[in-house]
Amino acid sequence: MDLLAQVLANGVLLGGLYAVMALGLALAWGVLNIVNLAHGSFIMLGGYAAWYLFTWLHIDPFLGLPLTAAMMFALGYALQRGVLNLIVRAPMFNTLLLTFGLDVVLSYLAQIVFSADFRTINPPYAGSQLNLGAVVLPVARLGAFTAAIVLTVGMWLFLLHTRIGRAIRATAQNLNAARLYGVEPRHLYALTFAIGCALAGASGALYGTVSQINPYIGATLTAKSFAIAIIGGLDNPLGVLVGGLFLGLIESLTALYIGPTWSDVASFGILVLVLIVRPTGLLGRTA
Amino acid sequence: MVFRPALLVGALSIALGAGLPLRGASAEDIVLGASVQLTGPVANTGRYYRDAYQIAVDKINAAGGVKAGGKTYKLALKVYDNQSDVNLSVRQYTQLVTQDKVNLLLGPFASNFALADSAVSEKYRIPMVQGGGASDQIFARNFKYIFGTLAPASDYFGSTIDMMKALKSPPKSVALLYADDAFDVSVADGTRPKLKQAGFNTVMDERYSSNASDFNSLLSQIKAKGVDVVLVAGHETEILNFVRQAKSLAVAPKMYSFTVGVPSEDFRRALGRDADYAFGMTAWLPQASLKDRWFGDAQQFAREYKAKFGYDPDYHAASGVADVETLAQAIENADSIDANKVRDAIAKTRFDSLYGPIAFGANGQINLPQVVIQVQGGQVAEIYSAKGFVQTPHYPMPAWNAR
Repeated sequence: MDLLAQVLANGVLLGGLYAVMALGLALAWGVLNIVNLAHGSFIMLGGYAAWYLFTWLHIDPFLGLPLTAAMMFALGYALQRGVLNLIVRAPMFNTLLLTFGLDVVLSYLAQIVFSADFRTINPPYAGSQLNLGAVVLPVARLGAFTAAIVLTVGMWLFLLHTRIGRAIRATAQNLNAARLYGVEPRHLYALTFAIGCALAGASGALYGTVSQINPYIGATLTAKSFAIAIIGGLDNPLGVLVGGLFLGLIESLTALYIGPTWSDVASFGILVLVLIVRPTGLLGRTA
Repeated sequence: MVFRPALLVGALSIALGAGLPLRGASAEDIVLGASVQLTGPVANTGRYYRDAYQIAVDKINAAGGVKAGGKTYKLALKVYDNQSDVNLSVRQYTQLVTQDKVNLLLGPFASNFALADSAVSEKYRIPMVQGGGASDQIFARNFKYIFGTLAPASDYFGSTIDMMKALKSPPKSVALLYADDAFDVSVADGTRPKLKQAGFNTVMDERYSSNASDFNSLLSQIKAKGVDVVLVAGHETEILNFVRQAKSLAVAPKMYSFTVGVPSEDFRRALGRDADYAFGMTAWLPQASLKDRWFGDAQQFAREYKAKFGYDPDYHAASGVADVETLAQAIENADSIDANKVRDAIAKTRFDSLYGPIAFGANGQINLPQVVIQVQGGQVAEIYSAKGFVQTPHYPMPAWNAR
């Protein structure tokens, strides 16, 4: 019983981290219709940014989150205006090709600049834990989970209640109508993509605190984010949170009861199932 | 789902004829070809091989090169970057043999690569001496043109199990965790019967996916079952995650041992003080007692290597140097650069090197004993060898909050 409780706790904490990783991908996908295959590389870059902030300037990775996010925001804005905007009206396949190429460029640049060595962000509390009865809650994971919840709910409120948030949603729903109401799509697209990058960067910092960073972690993280975005749905950040938690729990329970090799089978099996049964995601509106 | 960016770029770079240029290769050069992971997820181990091949070739050339058939040859190296992609590495070896017409082959890193690439050397009858693949599977196919200088994977934990029995208060229960690739499956298959024979109780025997980043479920089980010893056969990224997550969940078995990472400098740097108490194994330590024709001895080699590349060599690097030396020695023994004659000479080679005594079994694999090592105070300490304890092991491992 203790073991099950512990594994459930592990799954929930993991799921929170997953959710914040997928948030940016879902946003760019939902609004810009760009499936950003370089998303994992943005997470990786955020991880390196946080690593340097921590190692060189001794800025705590959690306190440094806004800084990391701001750097990635700037990069995302520039990339969208300079590169991705070229294909914003092109068929989906072109966006896949372009972001795929971007992913390759970013990861190989990262190896040249940062080397292929593994990095870990290791603040003193990274290994400490809270005990809730028999259940152990690692502090870093708990922090990452809390940050994930705050970011997700913040994102949700932002989209719901702010002017820019409404403009983003309006553009996603109907570009022409949004333009008639004075939305400037070029700026808005770049802004949306930049927010997605900032979220990826923040999740990279969290990921580096609980796991490790190297230039090639991107591909698997993109795949994971993709699955979460599909499972949760693109309409709403809360859907992504549900998708992340769901995936985290499924993976942890599969590893416990069926065997760790089956975790990926289970998560991508769920992905296929969701696509068949609820193509708009668990929390998505049905068409 | 796995994205393979490497495939596309790989196809492009082949199309463009990329790869490192032959350094002033002339008709009098013996060209050694290899495809190594210079980029991609295992690039930080792949570099040991590129650097080892380079330093060995330079050293042999500086000493006058290789003599055969009354002529003196220089060695030249042609290395492609396989971007950590097995399929690309097979294509590159095919290209090395069929288009670049290299004389002899050196290996890639990692068993799954050597397993696939040795099909090319076998098909074209060009001997490959490889120091990056230890899986018994590579040598179980009666191939004639593949030779390996890493000790058999099935025996990686052999010395560790011997040590466990020799401890003052021996552990009882063991968890065996391994990744689902050629090398790690071979390790597990070899370890399982050894544990049984030694009388240990294997309470967990779990295979996990390569690239797994979450070990929380496994760690929680280890804790719930109160396992004494955890043996993990996996990749460096997984081991890093395993140790960090063990700390964060306060899981401290009496000891844990890993097939990779412990001998490597960047592993210890990434973990800092948390690397302490981790056991591992190595078939090589830079000792002055290992004499070498070209480098003097292993200690001098390690110094020269560090000075040239800026990081310490581990057994991967020493094994890579041994591969080049084996080829050089075999060419001289065969007194010919004909691939078949060199192949027969490799099979009969016997010489002492900075890596240890080089001699191959009938299946083509070397047999070297594994020394048990442990990280103690950030340094690698030699704990247990064939002769028994060398230094005192730090055992049992204290709880994480008592360090």
